[in-house]
Amino acid sequence: MKRVRLATPFVFLTLTALAHAHVGSTDIFLEGKAGPYQLFVTVRPPLTIPGVAEIEVRSESAGVREIKAVPLAIKGAGSKLAPIPDALKVSANDPKFFVGQLWMMTSGSWQARLTVEGAQGEGTLSIPVPAVARASKRMQLGLGLILSCVGIFLVTGLVAIVGASVREARLDPGQTPAPTDLRRGRKATIIGAVIVLAIVFGGNAWWNSEAQQYDTRIYKPLRMAASLKGSELHLRMTEPGWMQAISLEQAAFRVFTRKMDDLIPDHGHIMHLYMIRQPGLDVIYHLHPDERDTGSFVLPLPSTEGGHYKLYADIVHADGFPETLTSEIDLPALAARPLAGDDAFAQGEPWQKSTPNTVFTLPDGYKMEWLRPSQAIHARQGMSFNFRLLKPDGTTPADMSLYMGMLGHAAFVKTDGTVFAHIHPNGSISMAALMLAEGMPADMKMDSAQGVLPNAVGFPFGFPSPGKYRIFVQMKHAETVETGIFDVDCLLPIQNG
Amino acid sequence: MATIPAQHADFPSSIPQSRTHAAETTASIPWYIWCATVAVTSATIGGYWDISWHSSIGRDTFWTPAHMAIQLCGVLAGIAFGYLILHTTFSKNSPLAPASVHIFGFRAPIGAFIASWGGIAMLTSAPFDNWWHDAYGIDVKIVSPPHILLIMGVYSVVIGTLVLLAGHMNRGQAQSHANERRLILYINGIMLVQFMILLMEATNRPYLHSARAYLGVALLPPIVLALSSRLTRYPFAATFVTAFYMLFRIGLILILPLFPAEPKLGPVYQQVTHFVPPDFPLLFIVPAFLLDLLWQRTKSWNDWKVAAVSSAIWVSVFLALEWPFATFLMSRASNNWFFGTGYLYFALPPKSFVARHAFYPSGGPVEFSLAMIFAFMLGTLAFRWGINRGEWLGKIKR
Repeated sequence: MKRVRLATPFVFLTLTALAHAHVGSTDIFLEGKAGPYQLFVTVRPPLTIPGVAEIEVRSESAGVREIKAVPLAIKGAGSKLAPIPDALKVSANDPKFFVGQLWMMTSGSWQARLTVEGAQGEGTLSIPVPAVARASKRMQLGLGLILSCVGIFLVTGLVAIVGASVREARLDPGQTPAPTDLRRGRKATIIGAVIVLAIVFGGNAWWNSEAQQYDTRIYKPLRMAASLKGSELHLRMTEPGWMQAISLEQAAFRVFTRKMDDLIPDHGHIMHLYMIRQPGLDVIYHLHPDERDTGSFVLPLPSTEGGHYKLYADIVHADGFPETLTSEIDLPALAARPLAGDDAFAQGEPWQKSTPNTVFTLPDGYKMEWLRPSQAIHARQGMSFNFRLLKPDGTTPADMSLYMGMLGHAAFVKTDGTVFAHIHPNGSISMAALMLAEGMPADMKMDSAQGVLPNAVGFPFGFPSPGKYRIFVQMKHAETVETGIFDVDCLLPIQNG
Repeated sequence: MATIPAQHADFPSSIPQSRTHAAETTASIPWYIWCATVAVTSATIGGYWDISWHSSIGRDTFWTPAHMAIQLCGVLAGIAFGYLILHTTFSKNSPLAPASVHIFGFRAPIGAFIASWGGIAMLTSAPFDNWWHDAYGIDVKIVSPPHILLIMGVYSVVIGTLVLLAGHMNRGQAQSHANERRLILYINGIMLVQFMILLMEATNRPYLHSARAYLGVALLPPIVLALSSRLTRYPFAATFVTAFYMLFRIGLILILPLFPAEPKLGPVYQQVTHFVPPDFPLLFIVPAFLLDLLWQRTKSWNDWKVAAVSSAIWVSVFLALEWPFATFLMSRASNNWFFGTGYLYFALPPKSFVARHAFYPSGGPVEFSLAMIFAFMLGTLAFRWGINRGEWLGKIKR
């Protein structure tokens, strides 16, 4: 009946190496407007599904009185009926800081819909939240010991009850058990012990089976294999067997089933591919392969620096569920086509030879500057990473333009390869998912900004774990996509902060 | 477990029988049995309330009223049986001392130990279930290891109460024991209602044209029916017990939707404004009535023969009735306040069988027939076991 998975006094997690929509970075950061109110939202999804996500909202506008949050499916039947929303609790120390919980009951593409009420009326904001089980938790040593002791007591107690019931229960009051009663009692005890132990072993097998069944629900991204044919990069996706209905019954109950033929464009492209040279993270390409067939992508590579590359491919499914697929490939130095369209490339010093910087000089003399706050940066701390682009003479470029519909794109990469996050000015969410959550078409064109664009951009994000990170920031002026490279040390998370 | 030597000092050979009889034969049903009866009633109501809570509101805490009703069972059982065991063990004048069994140095009637075991199992299930939620997610199903531990705990309290009551009845000198018999029938009714929680996932409407529902029905209810009939010798014991089950479930259909409730969890696929009751009860009362008639006429039969014929009647009559009745339950005509097939769990996906009022595809006729033969065999064993336990309970003195 009891299977105790002993661990050290700490809670151990069997985390998957990869996480949905980004790699190793599961918290969601979003900066957006709920009507007139500017909000910075952090959602920390649960490890298990069903589970409870934590949500933190900082109002950057005055006058917010109440924020309510409700989880909804982004698309489909579950997006039409809403449960009763929860009012977030306002911090006792900071009236602009609100916290609460979101119960995520099924895997899939969810949204947290916030309703803000305040001095300027009411506003709403939707935050896409992909919900996936990421781990199973092992039992703490203390709890394991306690449950083991009680379990042993229950088992021996049950056997003792069986023995006593045969030995004495039918005797007249006051009658002492005869030797035959004692013999029968002993026999019953032995038989009872065998049966109870069989039940215990059966229970253990059931527990293992339940645990294995749960393991099949732990998120596994689509597999991606990369190969080079001439100067063409071929990417082939395969299903590793996650969230596939295995019975008619499951199919009827399963709301979310992953497919490969339902990909939708995310800010203009069906796939955003980052190729980052290892181990120095000194060369980066941001490219956009075309879908040739279901699960098959092809990209004529531009001229490429040779080396070993890690590939991070962002895709979005029709219901707004985003994934980052990974692969690796060795590339020779290629003399091929020039960069075109939304392609981007940058080269810098390997991170091992670099030190944390706030200014990066671009090949054409432009400078990209990180407006870094003076205080240290800690893991799990949501903040806006703000950058600006300056001309070689330090003045503001007058020809800023949108890069794939946005003021900029950023990739946050941990130097040990465990974290990759492709971030937009709105936050760490997929833009297609955000559009769907807001009730707009996922592939709506976004490069409709008019007038002079600012030369600055901010990216809401928080490093998931301490360590060395490299940030690749892309901004565009005229037809030139500039990629700045910044190194940063992230410290341990602030406890109770 | 250690066996006890015949000359062990704990054995109360020196306690005069007359004291026990003097204390008990004139007594009505003792307070601890009433306490245990309230406990198992509370757990039963709490169990169904909790299921309805999860179907209507979804989110819960340890402190929901439904959970409190379940935990009250553990508390009351703890008070009643803990006191009984301690008092019987340590008091020099306990009237139950001669009517006790000996376990781990304690002494008390065997039912008190069984029920206490159940209380400890219930308590253990709470941290186990909490960890289970952390490890594998908040479960939305009845049959999970920690839930089964809880259910085993509750069942043990029920069985312990029944054993205690049987022992009390068997020690008495009155001829009729009418009150005890009525209370035994009530406890058996509670037991059947609780067994049907365990079978709920197998007997959902869409499964009523599938073998699994009939296999489940052949396994558990026969034990309760045969046991109650043999123990009480009441001519319509099975009818009473199944009537209790059906009235309890119909009562839930009539009462629960009177109270407002709205989902506090997503996704919400079905509009829910009031508490969602369980499915309409299975039509047990007709085959149970036939069993009572059979058992009144087969007292001289071999128990195995009785069990086999009982199983044949139980499985075939239930199948003949429930199959067409399930078709009715899937029709629009049953979507009303009495049959309650319009009350749907808020997170029931629109494509699910229940929401579509469709049956889960059963196997072919050969496969189903083989399953029914297996159900007959299962039922025979279950009835035989129930007869055996009923006879055993009829002889319990301690």
